[in-house]
Formats: sequence, structure tokens, C-alpha cells
Amino acid sequence: MATNERLFVLPGETIDPSLIPTHKKHPLRLGPGLRHIPPSDIVPTVAGQLITNPLKNSMWVEYNSHRYIPSQGDIILAQILRSTTDFYLCSIAPYSAPATLPHLAFESATKKTRPQLAPGSLVYARVSLANRHMDPELECVNPSTGKADGLGPITGNGCVFDVSLGFARRLLMARSREDGGVGVLEMLGGEEGGGLAFETAAGRNGKVWVGSESPRTVVIVGRALQETDKGGLGIEEQRRLVKRLVKEMR
Amino acid sequence: MTATTAPEAALGVLPRADGSAKYSHAGYIVTASVNGPIEAQRRDEHPYEAHVDVIVRPAAGVGGTRERHLESILQSSLAQIILVRNFPRSLIQIVLQVEHSPENDYVNTKLVQANLNFAIMPALFQTAVLALLSAGVPMKATATATAVALSHQDGSKRTIVDPSPREVETAQSVHVLAFTSHDELLLAESEGDFTVKEWDDVYETASKVCCQSALQKEGIAMVLDDEDAGGPAMRHFLRSTMESKVAADLHWK
Repeated sequence: MATNERLFVLPGETIDPSLIPTHKKHPLRLGPGLRHIPPSDIVPTVAGQLITNPLKNSMWVEYNSHRYIPSQGDIILAQILRSTTDFYLCSIAPYSAPATLPHLAFESATKKTRPQLAPGSLVYARVSLANRHMDPELECVNPSTGKADGLGPITGNGCVFDVSLGFARRLLMARSREDGGVGVLEMLGGEEGGGLAFETAAGRNGKVWVGSESPRTVVIVGRALQETDKGGLGIEEQRRLVKRLVKEMR
Repeated sequence: MTATTAPEAALGVLPRADGSAKYSHAGYIVTASVNGPIEAQRRDEHPYEAHVDVIVRPAAGVGGTRERHLESILQSSLAQIILVRNFPRSLIQIVLQVEHSPENDYVNTKLVQANLNFAIMPALFQTAVLALLSAGVPMKATATATAVALSHQDGSKRTIVDPSPREVETAQSVHVLAFTSHDELLLAESEGDFTVKEWDDVYETASKVCCQSALQKEGIAMVLDDEDAGGPAMRHFLRSTMESKVAADLHWK
């Protein structure tokens, strides 16, 4: 990521105009934590680090929090609450407004062949509609191709672990070890963890599903993730944590 | 009893809340939790904005009319700085638990009955703002608050920033003022007898405490004694507290 400036901002502070990127072709894109007050004021709304990307002509405020606010295109892990005639109602964060997941928003689903999901089951879904005046809407299928692209109901033995939203974003980075500084999963599956066999599904809403045939592995992986998040561990500390957990749980 | 200690704060003290803060200043210790935006109950729902719910719990006993009064004052001023229009039909819940309040050395008070007064308002307000920042609730601006008491002693007037309970009791008037980070007056509550001129003086004193940035403060401290500068520079405190929290959160960057 082409970022150079590390500037701390509080809500309502003025951003120095020299920090706002300009680009010949792309319009300026504002990410989370910023609001535009017409005509030309850009004001932060949360406390965090202002990050600008001159290549994409975008800027946003990086911060960590616990309450997930849906935004379109996010991949999340939702739990089915109940089913109505046309859609499932899903919980994406505790006490938040439930999201709707249409019965037909699954791969190759028709009126007759649609997945039967019981209350409590998990789905890995994309937020297809996030509008502050409406409840969020989810989908488990790519609407243009009709393919699932890895989304859908989660089956198999496993457990969901809660992490902070910042940590979930780091897990979802394409190169999470280099850019996000999270190497626990690689280590657990690799040499340090003795090659544990497990699979994960991380959602932007701060939930990570860990699946494995052995309950021991699920607990080790889940605890490693939560402790890395809570303790703010670096790569070297993560390696030590993984070794300790594997040894303790033998 | 002169409790002019520097303010202290810890953020994220409650693991399950979306945001939390523990704040201690002038003998008061307050813990706040913030949850939100969450789904509002049907009767609290507003079609265009979030409902801000403030709950004040005293150190002992259950809250009564006094607490409801403080809640309503806090609610109306916090709803001004939170971007409530971003989250229609939802609820932002702020719970403030008073853990400790300074005792009045001159009166034998038994801590069985909730007994809150105006002097606690700045602590409650500041804790709420810190917890909101810790939860990442979008806000228009940050805010700082202070309490100022005016007392007449032997014919001379005295202005006391962050008064102790004894000073509140003997004071002619007590004022609570809060300012946003744009130096706008957000909250002004007064109790007792005072003239317009006196209120103007109080306003000057409070805005000095609330609105001074760190640089100015240092400049003054060099010339005058700390006591004359009147209280801590609240805005600088808020900024440095949040800066260290964000630095800890983003250590991986």
C-alpha cells in the first residue's frame, strides 16, 4: 500500500489540505471514518490514523473497534436466526439489527431446491445491500455469474471465535503476514504448530470460524487467534505463543 | 481537601462492551461502557436518527431523580456531538457507573444513599466522551468539560476549578461547562446565585481549562505557577489518551 503519512486524528479536527491526495483522472474516494461536508471540508469522525493512498486517490481513517457496521461488499460470517417465507433472518453482530438473506441467494437455488438451514447454522456471505435506512441484505452467490465463489452454508465440525474488527481485517488481507503482521495460522499449519490440519473462515464482522476433525486443534487455533488479537502480538511473539499452546495442549 | 490531581484514563477496560473507559479526576472515579449502534426497542426508535440512551449509576444505592436529571443533561449534550443521523432507528447506549466520589470531610456522610451533585458532571461527561471514542462511534467533534465554583470569602471572590464537595457546599454558585473541539459552548448548567458578570468570568476560566491546546498551556506554565493556570489542559489530555490507544491498536502497521 502506498502510504507515507502517519497522522493521528480526532473527530472534528481539520485535515491539512496538503495531506489530501489529488489525482488527474480518479475522483477522490473517502473510506471509513471520514465525512464530507459540502462544499469542500473533509472531517474525520473517529479517532484513528489518517491514511492516504495517492495512487488510488483515496483516504481513510484506520482504527480498531468491536461493533460491526455493515457496508456493501464485505464478506461476513452470519448466523441464521430464523426463516420466513422468502428469506432467512441472520445475526451479524449481537444486538444489531438482523440482516436478511433471501432463500434464492444461494448457488443454483430454485424455489424447489433451496438450502434448508436450521436456526443457529452459519453462513459465509457477502453484504449485498447496506443502507442506513434499511436492514442489511446478504447473498451467498455472485449475482453476475451465479457461482458461489466460496460463499455458502458452513458445514463440518468447528467453532466460531470472536475477534476485534481490526484483527479480522488483517486476517482477510491478501498478504496477511506481510501487510497485516498475522502469521499464526501459517505457523499453526506449518513447522511451529507441528502441521495441524484445520480450515478457517474469517468474516469482517469480527467472527472467525475454525473447523477441524479434532476438537483439540479447534481450541488451539481459536485461542491462538484470540490471544494474538488481545495481546497485540508481533510475528516473533506469535511464534512463541504457537509453540507454547501446542506444547500445553498435547 | 484539595484534590487537584491530574486526570487519568484507561480505555477498553470492559472486554465485552463495544467501547469502555475508566476515568479518574478530582477524587471521582467513573467507568463507562458504550454499546452501539444496536437495535433499538420499538418505543425508542426514531425514523431519522439514533436514540442516545444515558444511564447513570451511583456508587451506592439505586439512582433517583438526581440521576435522571444528570442523565437528561448528558443525553442532550452527547446527542449533539454524536452523528446520530448516520444510524437511524438504532440505539447508542452509554452506561456510567460512579465508582468513587470524594468525601466531604466536614460532614459525616454515610454512603448508603445516592448523593450526586453538579461537581460530578465533568467526570461523567469526560468518561462518556472517552468511551464513545473508544467504541469508534462516529462523532462531529470531541468535547471537554469542567466544573467551576464561585465562593465569597471575607468579601473577596474566589474561582475554584474542579471544586471539592466541601467547596461545592460553601460556594455561592456552581457551574458546569463543556466545550466542543471547535471551541463552541456545548453545555452550561449553573446552580446558585450569580450575576451575569460572574458568569462571564466563569466562562473565561472554563474555556481556558477546556480549550487550551498543549502548546499554549506550556507557555503559560512557564510564566505562572501551575495553580494559577487553573486546572489541567483537558483537550491535551484527551488527545494524548486517544493517541496512545490508537498507537497500541495499530502496532502492526
